Amino acid sequence: MPRNAGSFPARLAIAVLIFVLGCLLSSARLVLEAPRGHIPDDVARRSDLRFASLKAALPTEGVVGYVGSPRDSIGYYYLAQYALAPLVLDHSVNHPLIVGNFPSSAPQLPANLEVLRDFGNGVLLLAAKDQP
Amino acid sequence: MVSGLAALLCFGMGWAIVSTGWTGGASPAERMLKLFLSAGYGLGAFSTLFLVLRALGMVSVPAIDVLAFAVLLIGWRLSRRLVPGATVVPAPGHDHPGWLRGSLTAGFGAALAAALYCAVRRTIAYPNGEGWDVFAIWNLHARFLFRGGAGWREGFSALIPWSHPDYPLLLPGAIAHFWSDLGHETYVVPAIIGLVFTISTAGVLFSALMLLRGRNVAMLGGLALLATPSFIEQGTSQYADIPLSFFILATVVMLCQHDASLALSAPWAGWIALAGLAAGFAAWTKNEGLLFLCSLLFARFLMSAGGKRTGQAGETLAQPTSFTLLLLSALPILLIILWFKRFIAPPGDLFVYAATTFHKFSDLARYRAIAKWFGKQFFRFGHWLWVPGSLLVAGIFVAWRIWGPQHRGDVVATGPRTGFRVCVVALTITLCGYFVIYVITPYDVYWHLRFSLNRLFLQLWPSAIFLCFVEIGVAGGQGGGNRDVSK
Repeated sequence: MPRNAGSFPARLAIAVLIFVLGCLLSSARLVLEAPRGHIPDDVARRSDLRFASLKAALPTEGVVGYVGSPRDSIGYYYLAQYALAPLVLDHSVNHPLIVGNFPSSAPQLPANLEVLRDFGNGVLLLAAKDQP
Repeated sequence: MVSGLAALLCFGMGWAIVSTGWTGGASPAERMLKLFLSAGYGLGAFSTLFLVLRALGMVSVPAIDVLAFAVLLIGWRLSRRLVPGATVVPAPGHDHPGWLRGSLTAGFGAALAAALYCAVRRTIAYPNGEGWDVFAIWNLHARFLFRGGAGWREGFSALIPWSHPDYPLLLPGAIAHFWSDLGHETYVVPAIIGLVFTISTAGVLFSALMLLRGRNVAMLGGLALLATPSFIEQGTSQYADIPLSFFILATVVMLCQHDASLALSAPWAGWIALAGLAAGFAAWTKNEGLLFLCSLLFARFLMSAGGKRTGQAGETLAQPTSFTLLLLSALPILLIILWFKRFIAPPGDLFVYAATTFHKFSDLARYRAIAKWFGKQFFRFGHWLWVPGSLLVAGIFVAWRIWGPQHRGDVVATGPRTGFRVCVVALTITLCGYFVIYVITPYDVYWHLRFSLNRLFLQLWPSAIFLCFVEIGVAGGQGGGNRDVSK
């Protein structure tokens, strides 16, 4: 087995120490910034709860429409999609059944839509007026 | 009970796969490397099995897992007849002075404790992951796979464009497999899988360096990764970037292991097969993994051509048969990806606006802007405090080159390094591929860079650290650990 005889170069030893200390600075950041005590608000789980009643009233598969406030983030659409999967939400009102999602404002619905049921918290089940 | 059985079967499948391609003894470093590799390969196998069953219209149940595990065990037993008796002896790490080794051990221990503390706290604090991509892409796809039943394909529809329905399904498949075995959804599964991939990536880096270059070099490499805040943050956020980094690293490690087996004059094709499978799993994790697989095959092809031209002896990795073996071992996963891309997923969003691509290619301002971001992110992607980890790794690499023991006239270990070179070329091509994707992106290039480049760098970071410290070990004369052969 080959061995490296002799002393370890002093300058290299200093470089190794600087490397270790430099790395430990960031380890300290990890510890200082680790979440503790307070558990942040979990939007995905809250969204699942928010859509639970609507989910029971919808078909188990297929495609339904979706409408939300144009002022809201697209993220609300994905939270709704996540909660209602495997149903596919098409961001369109051209479907017999439409999910209305207005988490932060009063619903402003297009004239051709009617509310079939209001589940509260800005969650609505809608239908096109000209559909049977 | 069921969750424990499912976890055991998942790990067991990984262990059987890794053991089938493995040769060597039972040193602590080898055991550790096998353990961490088995966790990742097991999750890859679990995901693939689930998708195959879904494609056949079947539901995953533990009995099928037991059967698959039994088949893999039989394969492992049969493969033992082919294994040579050569044993890789772990490299010693003895040339550091005691005080330095003590400081290094203390520093590594502190970084490990900090990383584990942060990872566990984050997993508890964000049980459903952190960031929109978790529920807009990865866990959403897992829900479609699990809840969708026979109609699971509908979830991968162009009607949900921002969910990236063309993204590969290793992570969602593994999550859905566990949910299916349990019979219900639980947020614990994706959280634990994220944690397992994070720990396993660091574990593979440390144990592979320990095996190939000794304990001191392993601690340096492990320290560099464990002290990267973004690595821990991303790993526990349930995105697919750290799982991808695991499989890229596994590929690189297996190819360097093959180099070590060549140094023993006992080349073992199993390392290449494991590398090919890991590259296949990388491609099944993210589209960037597909780019890595293509880069790897191209790099291997280049080396094969170069090897034939120069007539190098002993570098059997560069032979066309090795290229074929690499391709063949990735092929089963590649076929599943092709099936998914051809018959299930809509076209990817990056290539739908082909008409504007040429114009973007000829826009030099885009190249300048992207190059500037790449340069900036090189120093910033890890979310380090004050001193960038990339700078620290580069610094220690240069210091070792200038002041390392080889400059005292010590014997510098050399040996076949084709696998190493293939990995360097493959990672460089992958990085260039990332650059080109930004050039042709249909989105605002600054927005795209801001929200993804740091994660792309993280995908390659563990492998870059590994290659850097493997090279340091050679330059420092610590590569001799693989010279001893016990039969």
